[in-house]
Amino acid sequence: MALPKIKADATDARLAALTLPDGAGWAAEARQSALSRVAAMGLPIKRDEYWRYTDPTSLTSIDAPEAAVFENDEAPVFNDLDRLKIVFVDGVFDAEASDDLSLDGVEIERVSDAMNRDIHWAKDLYGVLETRGQTPVQRPLAALNTAFATDGIVIRVTKEVSKPINLTYLHKDVSSDAILHNLVKVEEGASVTLLENGPGAARFNKVLEVEVADKASFHHVRAQGRDHERRAVTGIFTRLGTESAFKSFTLTVNGVLTRNETVIELTGDDAIAHVAGACVGDGRDFLHDDTVFITHDAERCESRQVFKKVLRNGATGVFQGKILVKEGAQKTDGYQISQGLLLDDDSNFLAKPELEIYADDVACSHGSTCGALDDTALYYLRSRGVPKGEATDMLTLAFLAEALQEIENEEIADELGQRLEQWLGRRR
Amino acid sequence: MLEIKNLHVKLENEDKQILKGVNLTVEAGKVHAIMGPNGSGKSTLSYVLSGRDGYEVTDGEATLDGADLLDLEPEERAAAGLFLAFQYPVEIPGVGNLTFLRTAVNAQRKARGEEELSSADFLKVVRERAKTLKIDADMLKRPVNVGFSGGEKKRNEILQMAMLEPKMCILDETDSGLDVDAMKLVSEGVNALRSEGRSFLVITHYQRLLDHIKPDVVHIMANGRIIKTGGPELALEVENNGYADLLAEVE
Amino acid sequence: MAALDRPEMDVKEGVDQDTVDAVAKLSGKYKYGWETEIEMEYAPKGVNPDIVRLISEKNEEPEWMTEWRLAAFERWETMTEPKWAMVNYPEIDFQDQYYYARPKSMAEKPKSLDDVDPKLLETYKKLGIPLKEQMILAGVEGAEDYKEGERKVAVDAVFDSVSVGTTFKKELEKAGVIFCSISEAIKDHPELVKKYLGSVVPVSDNYYATLNSAVFSDGSFVYIPPNTRCPMELSTYFRINAENTGQFERTLIIADKGSYVSYLEGCTAPQRDTAQLHAAVVEIIVEEDAEVKYSTVQNWFPGDENGKGGIYNFVTKRADCRGDRSKVMWTQVETGSAVTWKYPSCILRGNDSQGEFYSIAIANNYQQADTGTKMIHLGKNTKSRIVSKGISAGKAQNTYRGLVSMHPKAKNSRNYTQCDSLLIGSQCGAHTVPYIEVKNNSSRVEHEATTSKVDDDQLFYCRQRGMDEEEAVALVVNGFCKEVLQALPMEFAMEAQQLVAISLEGSVG
Repeated sequence: MALPKIKADATDARLAALTLPDGAGWAAEARQSALSRVAAMGLPIKRDEYWRYTDPTSLTSIDAPEAAVFENDEAPVFNDLDRLKIVFVDGVFDAEASDDLSLDGVEIERVSDAMNRDIHWAKDLYGVLETRGQTPVQRPLAALNTAFATDGIVIRVTKEVSKPINLTYLHKDVSSDAILHNLVKVEEGASVTLLENGPGAARFNKVLEVEVADKASFHHVRAQGRDHERRAVTGIFTRLGTESAFKSFTLTVNGVLTRNETVIELTGDDAIAHVAGACVGDGRDFLHDDTVFITHDAERCESRQVFKKVLRNGATGVFQGKILVKEGAQKTDGYQISQGLLLDDDSNFLAKPELEIYADDVACSHGSTCGALDDTALYYLRSRGVPKGEATDMLTLAFLAEALQEIENEEIADELGQRLEQWLGRRR
Repeated sequence: MLEIKNLHVKLENEDKQILKGVNLTVEAGKVHAIMGPNGSGKSTLSYVLSGRDGYEVTDGEATLDGADLLDLEPEERAAAGLFLAFQYPVEIPGVGNLTFLRTAVNAQRKARGEEELSSADFLKVVRERAKTLKIDADMLKRPVNVGFSGGEKKRNEILQMAMLEPKMCILDETDSGLDVDAMKLVSEGVNALRSEGRSFLVITHYQRLLDHIKPDVVHIMANGRIIKTGGPELALEVENNGYADLLAEVE
Repeated sequence: MAALDRPEMDVKEGVDQDTVDAVAKLSGKYKYGWETEIEMEYAPKGVNPDIVRLISEKNEEPEWMTEWRLAAFERWETMTEPKWAMVNYPEIDFQDQYYYARPKSMAEKPKSLDDVDPKLLETYKKLGIPLKEQMILAGVEGAEDYKEGERKVAVDAVFDSVSVGTTFKKELEKAGVIFCSISEAIKDHPELVKKYLGSVVPVSDNYYATLNSAVFSDGSFVYIPPNTRCPMELSTYFRINAENTGQFERTLIIADKGSYVSYLEGCTAPQRDTAQLHAAVVEIIVEEDAEVKYSTVQNWFPGDENGKGGIYNFVTKRADCRGDRSKVMWTQVETGSAVTWKYPSCILRGNDSQGEFYSIAIANNYQQADTGTKMIHLGKNTKSRIVSKGISAGKAQNTYRGLVSMHPKAKNSRNYTQCDSLLIGSQCGAHTVPYIEVKNNSSRVEHEATTSKVDDDQLFYCRQRGMDEEEAVALVVNGFCKEVLQALPMEFAMEAQQLVAISLEGSVG
């Protein structure tokens, strides 16, 4: 079907301003095919059902809107952890700031190096899961990423890795426009923890494709930086094998626009997928959108979504989460909760929690609530002498705690919890 | 009445043998008790006899008045006169207790080619029998077992038994979760139903229920078999010495 | 047979048993599947401005009405059929339908029920509908305060496109209540129709509603004057009889200040191989302190067990709670139709207004249902409650689609949504698509949804007590639906319970 004119024009204009990076034969092919996907789908517009709550215009414009660099005196998140650090500045790998790319049980390369090789395992992953994730819902910005990504990291994990790998994305240029594509392949029985932090760029389009083989596990924790004006669209595409586990948690504080898409396919029996997010939004310009799509295509799998959003001063929180249980995916256990806490009268919470189920022996549920802080609790705390601001923070943290609990590594959970507490205190 | 021969049962989805050759004959009008430690297969026996899914009979047979039970659907066994008082009576939200009872009564009557009971007759009988079990009108209106206390659930099982008038009643750990008063009430209900044409198989872990419902015969079950059979004194023996001695004796 | 939970059963023993017997006689086939042999008068197939004019003329409508219809038609021609619902059906050829059919005997409108073709009356008799006073449905299930003969239901019956008669007119008139066909209302109460028609569902609202605005042939009209409690329940029974005939009825209910009315709607259609189109519009206006209860038992022919035939049901129903403290309650039992596309909604405009939506949707065989509600909170302290029970069996698809919207000015408002789906068999689908939009923080929204299969333990328990599988399923499903069944007026609750059981026949084993 022909695209609506407004969409076709915007897409053409955007694509004309970009050039496909060079690469080996397979890489060029992958990029070319992604490009034709984008052309066929067209870039998103506000009228699209999947973007009804989030205006994508600033994500698809030719130039990235400028974003001031947040001056920060605190130590970066994850700084105190024993980890392998990999740094990108405005979307470009910074070898000097990064550790040696060597760690027992892991192969790590820059995506550009991998894509220049004629034979590379990345061939079977780059753009492959993203392509699978295009049905039944189109995600053109992820295809755009596959076509035009200029940097990123490819990681192959063959063992249980001793320490987390930490990707840090620094933002130093007010008009940077970065497209980054990362690949992680966790081989059978292996496990790894991936940490991501930082705003990335003024405008950041990041895709992460993760293949989790049988009995393998992948843990993911990210904090999306504190720059107030940055914009980000991210996509995680993952496929899970038998008895594998995928757990992802995202903390978002600030940023003008954040759209985090997570697309999970449970293809092996007895696999587990957990995805969670905590977000604190402040100000009329703030919009944070979690869009999750979990497909159960195997038996006895478990999926869990926990999303909490605290919104104030006119901020908007969006949640679009779907559990799709395919025919034959019996004994599925699917759970989803999304909650908005509105700290004042101007803020908005918009949710579309969906279930689509084609198997009968399942237990699926979702819940979604939205409201203000509990007056009685607030009053109780104040009657015990806690000042209103602190009492509000306490209750807000308590609200977010359920999402933070989804982080398996307690050290990391504690650190993020403490950061949150500080940030809430400062903004008062 | 009930005749079980060499019954072997395993779990359907697991390679786990639970009953390993049970032999048991319950004569008309008699009360048999089966005692045994946890995991001996007592509850499995009751489920297999009543036709619950998840079990596979690998050998042996079970008949009720000469008719093969094991090939029948659960409702056919019920219509044939088999009643199981559940250890954990199932809650059915939204379905009124009375509705449930009447549907069951009429379904069985229909299956046996009898006239359905008119509402008036049905209500009269229910009220009468509920009263002796101290089941009030409110309990009859509430959804089946939903929000019932442990004692209420068990009394409700006995009420169903009284209404359905089965030939063969299996009581699966009916004493579990009951205080002394509730146990007394339930036992009285059961005793009132004892008659020449009705047999009971009382499955219990403890002897105390048998103080109230006096058995004619007591069987001890362990590891999927009946290891000893005797009179009421056998239950007392277990009460005093525990199962360990008996088990050791058999081995 | 069906689960009849009646603690007060003792009050009305005899009636109760008769009813149960009657239900027991119903076969597994669609109960209303015969057609009535009546000579029909048709307009030519298809729709165009001439047909629109013809319909208007046949109804002897004033010029303004004709113009209103033509404007709607013009608008409709620019629109496209919506595709967002989770339903699949072959392209409908809107020009291959009759837009007007009426029994020949109705060419001269009957003056009273006595003038109605006896065959027609027979039809309604077969449906078990109380066209005549003595056939009052009431008494099937006795409420504690129920006394024989006191409970009355006034009925407007719509046969294909035409209203064939309204009962209890005089008694209603005494109370100041206007209850007549919409075609009569257009002639006799133009000021009311002009003021309210299209004021809740605008002509341009959606594809099917716009088409309805152009071609609706009849329907019911209700006006309850201020501070009046309608002395009886009002009811419309719709039946599609003629082949290839679309039915487009239009219902307009106005509850003036401080009034109350309970309105029932029932629908059936004969069994046919070809699908039939039904696109109705219901508009309800609720003024200050008024309350309207609108209950539907929809039992259009669902198509056969292979998915052949059946009604395509595209319905727009909306209530506008204009006045402060106004209240509307939608209750629906959707068991029929091959395709259902229906979202009875509430606009909670008045402060302290309330909207409720109770729904049972059953889809068996190849049925597809996409139904739910919209609760638009505009006024302060508004409340809404949604209880939806979806049951899927066979190869059916059942979708709950809903919107709860708290506007910035709807301070201190509340919504509670409970949305449960039950699956029977591994080839059907159950889907939940809620939209939740909260734009102020003094309001609270809670949404919960679950999907599960019929509980094996419950079925086993019932079967151990002697019920067969189908009976056990019907009983458990009726329990699952209880909350909604309780919201129905008692006459309907009875019928609905039986329908639940009948609709699920053949779904197990």
